[in-house]
Amino acid sequence: MDTRKLNRRQAVSLLGGAAAVGAAGPAFGQTEPPKPAQIVVNHSGGSMGTAMRKAFFNGFEKKYGIRVVETSPADFGKLRAMVESGNVEWDITEIGGQDAIRATKLGLVEKIDGKIVDRSGYPEKVRTDFVFASSVYTTIIGYRTDVFKNGTQPKSWADWWDTKKFPGARSMRNHPTDNLEFALIADGVPMDKIYPIDFDRAFKKLDQIKPAVTVWWSTGQQPAQLLLDKEVVLATGWNGRFYDIIKKGAPVAIEWNEGALKQGSFVIPKGAKNPYWANKMLAEMSVPQQQAVYATELGYPGLNLESLKYVDDKVKPFLPTQYIDKQFWIDDAWYAENGNKAIELWNAWMLKKA
Amino acid sequence: MSMRGFWPAVPALLLLFFFFLFPVVRMLGFSLEGGSFDWYAKALGEGLYLRVFWNTFEIALLVTFFCLLLGYPLGFLMATTTPLWATVGFIFVLLPLWTSVLVRTYAWMVLLGRNGVFNRLLIDAGIVEDPLPLLHNFTGVMIGMVHVLLPYMVLPVYGAVRRLDPAIVAAAEGLGASSWRIFWRIYLPLTLNGIFAGAVIVFVLSLGFYITPALLGGGRVIMIAVLIEQQVRETLNWPFAAALSAVLLAFTFAVYALAQRFTRPQETA
Amino acid sequence: MQESAELRIEGAAKRFGEVAALDGVSLQVARGELLTILGPSGSGKTTLLKVVAGFEKPDAGWVKIDGVEITALPPARRDIGMVFQNYALFPHLTVERNVAFPLEMRNVAKPEIVRRVAEALALVELAGYEQRLPRQLSGGQQQRVALARAIVFNPRLLLLDEPFGALDRKLRETMQLEVRRLQRRLGLTTIFITHDQEEALVLSDRVAVMNKGTIQQIATTTEIYERPANDFVADFVGESNIFHGTMSAPGEVTLEGGRTLKVRSDKSAGAKVGVLMRPERFDTGGANLFTGDVIESVYLGTSFKLRLACAGGLELLVRQPARGPLPATGARIEVGIDPKAIHVF
Repeated sequence: MDTRKLNRRQAVSLLGGAAAVGAAGPAFGQTEPPKPAQIVVNHSGGSMGTAMRKAFFNGFEKKYGIRVVETSPADFGKLRAMVESGNVEWDITEIGGQDAIRATKLGLVEKIDGKIVDRSGYPEKVRTDFVFASSVYTTIIGYRTDVFKNGTQPKSWADWWDTKKFPGARSMRNHPTDNLEFALIADGVPMDKIYPIDFDRAFKKLDQIKPAVTVWWSTGQQPAQLLLDKEVVLATGWNGRFYDIIKKGAPVAIEWNEGALKQGSFVIPKGAKNPYWANKMLAEMSVPQQQAVYATELGYPGLNLESLKYVDDKVKPFLPTQYIDKQFWIDDAWYAENGNKAIELWNAWMLKKA
Repeated sequence: MSMRGFWPAVPALLLLFFFFLFPVVRMLGFSLEGGSFDWYAKALGEGLYLRVFWNTFEIALLVTFFCLLLGYPLGFLMATTTPLWATVGFIFVLLPLWTSVLVRTYAWMVLLGRNGVFNRLLIDAGIVEDPLPLLHNFTGVMIGMVHVLLPYMVLPVYGAVRRLDPAIVAAAEGLGASSWRIFWRIYLPLTLNGIFAGAVIVFVLSLGFYITPALLGGGRVIMIAVLIEQQVRETLNWPFAAALSAVLLAFTFAVYALAQRFTRPQETA
Repeated sequence: MQESAELRIEGAAKRFGEVAALDGVSLQVARGELLTILGPSGSGKTTLLKVVAGFEKPDAGWVKIDGVEITALPPARRDIGMVFQNYALFPHLTVERNVAFPLEMRNVAKPEIVRRVAEALALVELAGYEQRLPRQLSGGQQQRVALARAIVFNPRLLLLDEPFGALDRKLRETMQLEVRRLQRRLGLTTIFITHDQEEALVLSDRVAVMNKGTIQQIATTTEIYERPANDFVADFVGESNIFHGTMSAPGEVTLEGGRTLKVRSDKSAGAKVGVLMRPERFDTGGANLFTGDVIESVYLGTSFKLRLACAGGLELLVRQPARGPLPATGARIEVGIDPKAIHVF
């Protein structure tokens, strides 16, 4: 890289930064790299962006005088292309669980600086070197309360598969992840014995539910919208999306039993322009009070266990961390190995005439 | 072409080279990773991909057919009506192009859903008892794709009709042709080029669709672009994605060449 | 074979917004006659043609063919052959198919079509060009195809809308004569539209001169030329010297500048009149003599065209046979004109 150019850009951003620092008060004499005018955070967009801005970005901008530019969506292919071409636009990016594992293996991400990002409040197993666990979410059942009154909703995947007892149009994700697991559970596999997945058994079980699924959804907003429009009466979906419409008064409720837990993750792409400030951003995202704001907004609690202390009691029933015992974790490591095969089989199954 | 005539085209050619030819060549390079045709063998050998290719072409053909069915009369009317009505027509025809694909798609969901505006009207009017399945299936994909691609058919047809010398139509009329015969014997043959231009554009654009089919097709309608996107973004199998793209490109060129043969000026004997 | 018809138009009027394209036009075309409608652009002649062909509906008045009103009849049902300015041939059809078109529209039997197309093409001397497309023909050939297409179905009326405008002079003259010959031979009632007065004189039996939506004069070609009804006709048709004055005595006009002319006219004394003297009617002597300085002289092969400045501010355009040397600018010459050659209107 042309160092002269870099210096000039740094000089310019220093000027901008200096003014902001002046306003925020004198900085301590630590050796911190010059402040850029902005850092770029890439995430999935939509209401998630709004919540992140409220919980993390505004505070970060105020504290350091560095503008946070948001882009979306999360895109593994783009991450790889950026790193491999050496033109890395993002300072941090959201990433799917299995993709985070593959990205680490492919050397596409920077190590997280433990001296900057304090994860002492996190469960041991999510404190990995390269991946920052930002929140927990789960795929569960959303249902119309005007159709399934007084607790008559399906309460397990076996119920979900029982279209006689629980009639009505269903929607599920157009993706093997979640659905293979649900099928196995419905077929009697205990939640702790799902992996490695028996493809034959899972798809055979999926054959049974196929006619009842009128929509295979592909964007996170779809299941909530489908329930709202009463296009379907049952939908699997991410808890935050249901939480959002329930907050707004939709006749929809969540059945948490046997949900598929996942961890929302962020990484610093290899060759990011401002790794120091990227770590600072992750530090901001690990503050329990801020995580509580985020959880209240979206229903996705952070992994700093202390954060629950700062969440209102009315919100707590909508957080998946309250139901961890009756749910299971998606095995990202298994998907990192078998994901491609799963997708291919899924496509073929989808094309099969019912 | 003389060199003098060639120079003004240089910027466009450079643009084409850097933004089209170069990426395509790179893509082809990707697809032949390790000097083998394995990925092509997979693309053309496995039933899954062949079926999706076939589906894609089937959908593109149908979309083209319906665009023609709706777009020709529309373009024709707009070209022959008063300027005011033509403007109104243009606004409605072009509106989908100015709307984001998501907004458009959600609008269709509101209109075509089981409890959507359209079904409620039909039920209230007593025309049907149960809501028609207009969404989350093949019908939904057709409606959504035809809607957004219609302008690409209407505009060339409009242009072709406008280019037609009104005296020719008057001559036919004066020589005793009824409106019906004027259409079949004069308008239709003389606007064939516009029809083919529109059809080729619609067909080629259809091949690359994936958001609309994914959202309006309920996940059941799989087009090749969906699989290519999966290979690029999810499975990161870029060589295979490149091979699939190359096959699609080859098919597209073949269709284009075929269409070119038909578009030769009609030398009716 | 269908008989050619007689056409009558009575009180035809048509407005486009503020503009009266036709302002009460009446005329009659006899069976087998060729009537030329002559006028500058914007005079309403094209609108009149469209009213006859059925492409425009008049606001008032009617059109009758052989006594049957056709004012509201669509063009397709009028049986009128028309040749358009740019021929309007069907570019995608061969010559043969172009000419067959009106017959096919009339559901004429196949062998009959073949026979009549061949006949029509022979008539316009285009036999052998059957399989060509219009764009493979010259302008004159396209013109002939258009003509063949317009007459092949024995129309009751033939309309020609400035058909020679796009041809060069030589070809135009040939085509004019050819059209005339064909029209006479077939006995086709024909309306011919042009803005070219020379063309009008060559082709027509009678000429209707149009201006501002009305017919200024409708008469034989000689009548129009020798005895125009008004300034406009006099000026529009041919070269002319037009003056205005008063009848000061029987057979004498005093022009506005004071000069008196001996004329033959039975207009009563004191009447305001117009006086027309055609440039070629001047001679070296005569009852009315003019002396003037040559201010412009042009050699035209068979004649000299001179502009003379005479006493009393009179300016004369004179044509003389090209005999002897061309008078030089500035030279003073004398010309005369006979009272018989002066038209008073």
